[in-house]
Amino acid sequence: MLILSRKSGESIVIDGRIHVKVMRVEGDTVKIGIEAPSDVPVHRREVYEEIQRNNQQALTRQSAELPKLPLPATAKPKRKSVSRS
Amino acid sequence: MELEEPEVTETTIACCDVNMPAGLLGFEHMKNYMLIAKPAEAPFRWLQVKGNPSLAFIVIEPCHIIPDYQPDIPQADVDFLDLTSPEDAAVYVIVTVTGRRQATANLKGPIVINRNTGLAKQVVIANAAQYSVQQALPVNGSAS
Repeated sequence: MLILSRKSGESIVIDGRIHVKVMRVEGDTVKIGIEAPSDVPVHRREVYEEIQRNNQQALTRQSAELPKLPLPATAKPKRKSVSRS
Repeated sequence: MELEEPEVTETTIACCDVNMPAGLLGFEHMKNYMLIAKPAEAPFRWLQVKGNPSLAFIVIEPCHIIPDYQPDIPQADVDFLDLTSPEDAAVYVIVTVTGRRQATANLKGPIVINRNTGLAKQVVIANAAQYSVQQALPVNGSAS
């Protein structure tokens, strides 16, 4: 891992198009400003980890019956679909 | 007397291929799925791992959970999925069963599918901070 020391107001350029700037340092919190093209997704790492954990919990090995869940009120199965178009 | 022809709509499709080149977060190696709809289980559907039917995720269209769900899909993902209009995209969220009649849905990381090609991706939405990864599913009427 490349480790660089930066002072408040200084920045790093990645690939000539992504700018990472140290905006402010307050105690143990560093405020970082990121400028990146719209095709570069930028997220807190925790979001990825949260979704990853959730996926692992969601994986089910029962291929048989769906558990009885409370169906959302807007999604009651329609007995008969009548189209009048 | 008129015979009613079964309506051929998106909801009557029993099964379709879903190709996720990037896999799901945490399951990057599983790239090919089938989206299976059984009428009796609507609005839930199965996202089943192709070649391993015992592995599956339960998914649902987010409109059944939050009617005004507005995921902000990053441009990089729109390009990757080759979406040219909002109508091209089918959006599902993964359901986690947490109890006998309890479940949550992940609104931060929906699965976006190109309806025309079956190309799909689990997208980390740009406005993830507005939504929960464990949104409780609404319960019908009074507590049962």
